[in-house]
Amino acid sequence: MKKIAVLLASVLLLAGCAPAGQVEISDAWVKSGEMSVEGGMTAVYGTITNNTDKEVTFVGGETAIAGLVEVHEMAMIDGEMKMQRIEGGLVIPAGESAVLEPGGNHLMLMQLTGDLMAGDMISVKFDFEGADSITLDSVMAKPAEGGDESYHETEMDMSN
Amino acid sequence: MVSRRGFLQGGAIGVAGSAIGATSGSLVANALNNTAAETATAKRQLPFYGKHQMGIETPIQAVTNLVAFDLKPETDRSSMLRWMTLLTDDIARLSRGEPVLADPAPELAIGPAGFSAYVGLGKSMFIKLGMESDIPAGFIDLPAFKMDQLEEKFSGGDVVIHVAADDPIALSHATRSLVRDSIPFASVRWTQSGFAHTPGVVKSGVTHRNLMGQIDGTANPQLNSDDFASVVWMDQGPEWAVGGTQMVFRRIAMQLDTWDQLGTKSKEEVIGRKLASGAPLTGTLETDAPDFAARLPNGLSVIPDFAHIRRAAPEAFKERIFRRPFSYEAGISESGSVDVGLLWCSYQANIEEQFLPIQRRLEEFDLLNKWTVPVGSATFFIPKGPEPDSVIAQALFS
Repeated sequence: MKKIAVLLASVLLLAGCAPAGQVEISDAWVKSGEMSVEGGMTAVYGTITNNTDKEVTFVGGETAIAGLVEVHEMAMIDGEMKMQRIEGGLVIPAGESAVLEPGGNHLMLMQLTGDLMAGDMISVKFDFEGADSITLDSVMAKPAEGGDESYHETEMDMSN
Repeated sequence: MVSRRGFLQGGAIGVAGSAIGATSGSLVANALNNTAAETATAKRQLPFYGKHQMGIETPIQAVTNLVAFDLKPETDRSSMLRWMTLLTDDIARLSRGEPVLADPAPELAIGPAGFSAYVGLGKSMFIKLGMESDIPAGFIDLPAFKMDQLEEKFSGGDVVIHVAADDPIALSHATRSLVRDSIPFASVRWTQSGFAHTPGVVKSGVTHRNLMGQIDGTANPQLNSDDFASVVWMDQGPEWAVGGTQMVFRRIAMQLDTWDQLGTKSKEEVIGRKLASGAPLTGTLETDAPDFAARLPNGLSVIPDFAHIRRAAPEAFKERIFRRPFSYEAGISESGSVDVGLLWCSYQANIEEQFLPIQRRLEEFDLLNKWTVPVGSATFFIPKGPEPDSVIAQALFS
């Protein structure tokens, strides 16, 4: 039974649609690169659409490959673009979408428990306030660089 | 009261006016036609999922890139599966005219534009991965032929991605996307670019007029026929290979400087076909079967013994292949010689039994060899097509 549910979830993911009135996540992917090794970090991107009639807040998530998962934003800090945790989460008004993308908001995966390689598929749970959590079972690891040049320098911010 | 002169003037103005009307009317019509043509070309979508990989049993597109790769030393069977996972997702999205995941330039996804891409595996890949026992029957590296002047930079490769589309921008964007996802696993060995006709210029099909002036790709099995299936698709062998095909790639340089010194009649005798229509010298239509027995009053064969179509004609029923050649142009020398030729692709269920005998006959005696020089060569096995939720060559690499 569980298998069927998983299969259905991946079919829905492939079709890029979810029933109206719910929160939907499309085109999710996770970055693989030099940093996505054991003990390192990476980020999950995609589009979260709030199809409900009330505000929801994207507050975090869970995945087996990361010890720490946080919702991050890129912000101008002391004249430099840096990553930082979004306190209280990312608010998505009713009927609107939030795009998680390199150089912008993202779901930060830290303290990786193993190497994440190009073409790997991982399962990621997205947690919300105001809506049920959503688990995607096949988030593809894409080789990608660029878009967030300050990636390396922000390690200090992350220990906060 | 209207004077005759005034009436005439008015008439003239009237005529001029309606002429302008007609002109702007046809401009509008042209603009509408253009919009319609762009839309139809941009929207042309080829099916990705199915028994066979896309881009083979389909009318030839306008532009193409072949990119061959050599595996990185650390790439193993499980990395191959990850690579194929990425490419499968990319090709599925590109075939719908959508950007790939993590596309740094999604605005370039302007529509499917007849996009196709398939992945092929070289014999060297099977050997590097210790998978010799998986090499399908008949899938061989070609022996050296005496007309060959092969260059390393156009030959071989562990893996090929063959991309085609009806728009150069769509092609470039798609190629870049697929290469980007390949670099963790392999380095680029060579890339070769070619073209056929722009959609709408000739009747859609797999033939195109090559740069020697001949209609190339005649006498192919018909697309979507049982005959095509028996010539091209493997119907036995391991599960991952059934529905696949074996590809021969040849980069064939044309010696146009000397070819152009021949008159039309000589050119036609070398080929055995009429240049204008593509009909055999014994017929009137491109589709007419050549009559190799027909003789001239002086006793000579109408289709000469040295003619390309006589040498290339199958001597046994199984000696048939499906050709889908693109043209290439790679520059013009200081003295004005054009570097042009064919990115000649053929597909058959068994290279050894179907392609090799034909090629042997051409090697032995084909006058066309004087003006055509193979400078690149490779063979690839094209695994069967993926079903939704599966990955290209999944069973092979799992």
